[in-house]
Amino acid sequence: MHFEEIVRVALHALMDHKFRSFLTMLGIIFGVASVIAMLSIGEGAKREAIAKYQDLGVNNIIVREKKLSNAELEEVRARFSPGLSINDARVIKEIVPEVAQVAPQAEKESEVKMGDMSAKSTVIGITPAFIEILNYETEEGSFITADHYNNSLKVCVLGAGLANSFFSNQSALGKMVKVDDQWLEVVGVMKSKAVFTETVGELASRDLNNDVYLPLTTFNKRFAKENLLESEIKQITVRVNSSDKLMESAALIRSILDRHHFNNQDYSIVIPFELLKQEEKERQIYNILLGAIAAISLIVGGIGIMNIMLASVMERTREIGIRRAIGARKKDIMSQFVVEAVAISITGGLIGVVLGVVLSFSISLFTDVTTYIRVYSIFIAFFFSVLVGISFGYLPAKNAANLEPIESIRYE
Amino acid sequence: MLIEIRNLVKNYVMGDIQVQALRDINLTIDRNEYVAIMGPSGSGKSTLMNILGCLDTPTQGQYLFDNVDVSTLSDDELSAMRNREIGFIFQNFNLLPKMNSLQNVELPLMYAGIPKAMRRERAIEALERVGLADRMDHKPTELSGGQRQRVAVARALVTKPGILLADEPTGALDSKTGVEIMALFDELHREGNTLILITHEREIAEYSRRIIQIRDGLIFSDEENIRSDDVEEKIYKTRG
Repeated sequence: MHFEEIVRVALHALMDHKFRSFLTMLGIIFGVASVIAMLSIGEGAKREAIAKYQDLGVNNIIVREKKLSNAELEEVRARFSPGLSINDARVIKEIVPEVAQVAPQAEKESEVKMGDMSAKSTVIGITPAFIEILNYETEEGSFITADHYNNSLKVCVLGAGLANSFFSNQSALGKMVKVDDQWLEVVGVMKSKAVFTETVGELASRDLNNDVYLPLTTFNKRFAKENLLESEIKQITVRVNSSDKLMESAALIRSILDRHHFNNQDYSIVIPFELLKQEEKERQIYNILLGAIAAISLIVGGIGIMNIMLASVMERTREIGIRRAIGARKKDIMSQFVVEAVAISITGGLIGVVLGVVLSFSISLFTDVTTYIRVYSIFIAFFFSVLVGISFGYLPAKNAANLEPIESIRYE
Repeated sequence: MLIEIRNLVKNYVMGDIQVQALRDINLTIDRNEYVAIMGPSGSGKSTLMNILGCLDTPTQGQYLFDNVDVSTLSDDELSAMRNREIGFIFQNFNLLPKMNSLQNVELPLMYAGIPKAMRRERAIEALERVGLADRMDHKPTELSGGQRQRVAVARALVTKPGILLADEPTGALDSKTGVEIMALFDELHREGNTLILITHEREIAEYSRRIIQIRDGLIFSDEENIRSDDVEEKIYKTRG
């Protein structure tokens, strides 16, 4: 018998019992839907984490000043630590072999004004290397250039949020904004960035879109320190050549800084890539658990198919006997029932794929869980549903094929 | 010689007891014979039919069908044999209830691997032969008993088998329709088909040309049957 005939016969058998076929499919439908939904949750979490760490740079080591109270600051200064300095940045670049670039940054919380509007903002003094190290891009204009830096020009680059609230639809380029008592010319606007919702190590969560960037030279010249004990810079971002050199470079940086800071632990080192790996490892267990639940529901779906198929074989004993008497071989009967089981699981699988996609969109729409469906997960779910159909359809089909024609034809 | 059976024995094991259904059967049937195998229930006639129909294999002895020793065939070969050489007609028709007449008649051709267009053509031809050209789209439940049996006959004929094997073909029919079916058999025989009729009714066996009686697993008698005028008249009347 030709394959298409087998398929047609099987589909007919399913259509004869639409409701029963649908009920049988339910297990597979939910199984496939849950596999897709679970994988999409896992993938969503992964992508969120990667995006978060990508902002910090996967090849970067971040040296950040610890938040210290005034009393603590006095104590470390008394023990000769000058705090993080531009000199630290220079030394790291000179001594650590794998370092590609360093970017020191000074920070300050300020009121930024434009006309009668004002906003709280983090003003960041940076070097031109900054944009090379972090994957920041400008929406319009340029970033702080070597020329701005070398000549301590009174220019700034605005975060997307700030530019939007000050200038809405107009171009911000060439406009003047006032930071504290200094007028700065806007030379660029950053692309919008995802809002940091989690604290990473020593890096507090905040909205990067409200930042204002200006040359570190200008920053040091134009803005007085609020507190004389404050260190020169807040952060040094170090980019190494490859991510497998992160750990050893970090160790070297630590020993250099410990020497320069006279063993005062007034800084901390964050390696985003290591945090990412760690987070991934933690998530893996969670993913395995989700996967196992989904797999169990698929198997339960398969058992459902087997159950119904066994009953169906019993019910159709006479039909099988008739088919055998007029010339069906064992394998014809076998393929008829296997194809029937596979047809159930394929149909269930397809419905399950649709349901799974809808489910995962709904999850990201109605909850704050991010989901992302990768095409391969659809194929995996579908492939397994077919596999379940074949494996759980096999036994009933074998029973059907092995029925004795003489006895089954007389079966009432 | 189409069928040759030599010293055939068939034993069954039922629980702990061995039952000898057929003890020593010797039988030959030629092409275009019309044979009735008669016997009361338990005589072994059903067992003999199963073996003749390649649904079962003998315990001992030989069954040669067209010089092929059936007892040596594999399960797949037996299926192919049933498909090509045997046309079954059952007491209770054994049509597939979800399929219409045409589909039921096409079914053996499907297992023979014949392409759809030719299948259809041959099935229509077979249905026309049994006088059901206008009932092709009807399902068995929409047909009368006699019509159902005609569909079954068409299904048996459609592969142009070596023998038509009818097991109590009138058992589920009223006597008038029964006679109609027997008249149809008579025509098929005259067209050159080989017919084997299994029955316990003398009246039905009388339609054949040769009656073999079985008792207790043995052939009790094997004689030519000269049809009575009464039978000829019944057939004649039905033909109209």
